[in-house]
Amino acid sequence: MLRLKRTPLPRHAYLCRLGVLLLLLVGASALHAQEGFKTETSSGVSNIRIAVADFKPASADPQTSAFKHTFDSTLYADLANAGIFDIVSKSLLPQATPGAPAEIRIQQWADAPTSAAMVVFGNFGVQANRITCNGFLFDAKNLQYPQVLAKQYNEDATDDSARQIAHRFADEIIFRLSGGSQGIAESKIFYVKLTGADKEIWQMDYDGANQHPLTHLGTVSLSPRISPDNSRLAFSSLGRDGFQIRMFSLVLNRMVNFSAAGGTNLSPAWSPNGKDLAYSSSRSGDPEIWISDTSGGSSRRVTSFRGPDVSPVFNPRSGSQIAWISGRTNLPQLYVMDTDGSNVQRMTDGGYATSPSWSPNGQFLTFAWDRKYGPGAPGGQDIYVMEIATKRWIQLTHDGGRCDFPSWSPDGRHIVYANSPDGRATHMKIMTMLADGTQKHELTGAGADMPNWSWK
Amino acid sequence: MLHGLIAAAILGWAFLFHTRGHDWGENASNAGAIQATMVSSLPLPPTQRTLDTGVLTSEAPSPAPVITKERTEPPPTPNEIAIPEKITKPIKEAEKPTPAPPKHIQPVTPPPTKAVTGETAGVRIAQSTLELKNGTASVSVEDRTFGQRFAYYVNIVNSKVAQNWYTAEADPRTSIGKSTTIIFDINREGVPSNARIETPSGSPSLDLSAMRAVQRVDGFGPLPQGDHITVEYTFHLHPQ
Repeated sequence: MLRLKRTPLPRHAYLCRLGVLLLLLVGASALHAQEGFKTETSSGVSNIRIAVADFKPASADPQTSAFKHTFDSTLYADLANAGIFDIVSKSLLPQATPGAPAEIRIQQWADAPTSAAMVVFGNFGVQANRITCNGFLFDAKNLQYPQVLAKQYNEDATDDSARQIAHRFADEIIFRLSGGSQGIAESKIFYVKLTGADKEIWQMDYDGANQHPLTHLGTVSLSPRISPDNSRLAFSSLGRDGFQIRMFSLVLNRMVNFSAAGGTNLSPAWSPNGKDLAYSSSRSGDPEIWISDTSGGSSRRVTSFRGPDVSPVFNPRSGSQIAWISGRTNLPQLYVMDTDGSNVQRMTDGGYATSPSWSPNGQFLTFAWDRKYGPGAPGGQDIYVMEIATKRWIQLTHDGGRCDFPSWSPDGRHIVYANSPDGRATHMKIMTMLADGTQKHELTGAGADMPNWSWK
Repeated sequence: MLHGLIAAAILGWAFLFHTRGHDWGENASNAGAIQATMVSSLPLPPTQRTLDTGVLTSEAPSPAPVITKERTEPPPTPNEIAIPEKITKPIKEAEKPTPAPPKHIQPVTPPPTKAVTGETAGVRIAQSTLELKNGTASVSVEDRTFGQRFAYYVNIVNSKVAQNWYTAEADPRTSIGKSTTIIFDINREGVPSNARIETPSGSPSLDLSAMRAVQRVDGFGPLPQGDHITVEYTFHLHPQ
């Protein structure tokens, strides 16, 4: 996020060196520090150097080893993917495997070559078909009071729960060390899976594990959108009346009612309070943005302009703005308006823009954009991020083939998107990256499309 | 007759006296010794040297002055004339300390498990400095208890605000070298509030950029202890 914000700074930014002095005190009594020690590091401000030790096996159960391996690798991957840590390579860790606070010699981890600022360690055992796990987070620079976090978990002994424990513990660590933003290790990604001629809605964990289908409608279902409370999934599906908005309840694990309307209804979007659904509907002849409640009632039209209006998305911070794609000036462009249809503002100045997604803090929009659209034009469809206040943008993907359907993660640090290296729709796969375009990696194989990251 | 008489007298005289013995080079025992002497050894005075440089006294003729023909110089090629170098003062260099050779890693003896009298605790992080990408940030904590116990939280506050400070917002013409101090409260949930300027820098743009840095932060994460804390944060803009 920092890099995103800094990118468009004026040129003289590099001229300035910044120095910051922070004085922290409880109460408002005396305001000037009289004494204190000074230490210096060169570890960089953005990333905390964290060492993740393999957990110590706490029981002799034969299952321990396999589950512990799942746990260790998941925890390591979660922290490495968080985007806020500089993770210490396992080869640089001390030989010892501490399992409890009494067993760790914190200085060993603070010294080179580990040079960790934070150490994660603990023990992991299986007893009586239950996983018992104790996890600790220690501040290696603070020898006197090193403990930051201690957690205890007790779950059924399955591979999935070993992974879930690791996700939960990783989220706790990220929450403490990121300065208050929730981790995403427990978040889910919903996407369209190409199964033969049909397209069904599938679900997976944020790291690509645990992929499984949700719907079995035997038709073409598109653009899944999860509700803010993770209870319902809205999507558009091809049925007897053409494309209609459908609703699937993850709580009941079955389809629930959403009133059908005339015309083609596409690309639903949840309002952040979970009470409204915006979508594109052509019931009046021209595809326009409509807003209705979660069962399809009390629908009202927001846009009225000749040309298609599709792909709405609410501002998740305020809920009072909608970004969407409009073709009112020929090629589809990105627009922003208030939810009552006023204050329409065009964001892109040309090309072919599609599928916007709003960052959780409301500051940025990400969207797919073919900036030089036309026969023989250079470039292709790539993922862009635009700062709404200034309309300055940066390109996140380059030369990776066609990219589409970006979706922000709940922490605002990651973007998931669909990518097809050769441009063919059947070769679409889901990729994830940090919101500055680094650390791209695949989550699925070919045949997955239209990812949507859950709100939490 | 007279001439005849004179001639006859001469002839007659010569005739009369020409048999007077062998006088010169005669191989006779009474011949006198002849001493031959080398010429160089003659004690003659040396020839007087004359003044050579004098025109009148010199034996060598003075050379005629050489009159060379006037030539036109070809114009210099551009790279022939060296541009005069700027006179620079020699740069004084401080003596570099020779780096100590890397020490061999010594086996560390484990610290004693029993506390010894007078043993000090670990490093107390009441104040710390973070090296930023483009400068340094230092944290100092007055409340030693909070600072020691939750040093990681202090670092998070420090780095989070520093991340959100856009130095480009401060006008470098007026702000460089100045510092401003902002005071704000962090509540139990970690949300900063009530930011106000404690010490203005004199540059309004620097004050504003510092205020915005604090206001941009949504939260630092819940406080590990206590109800609220008050933070004094000094922003200092260094010249590059």
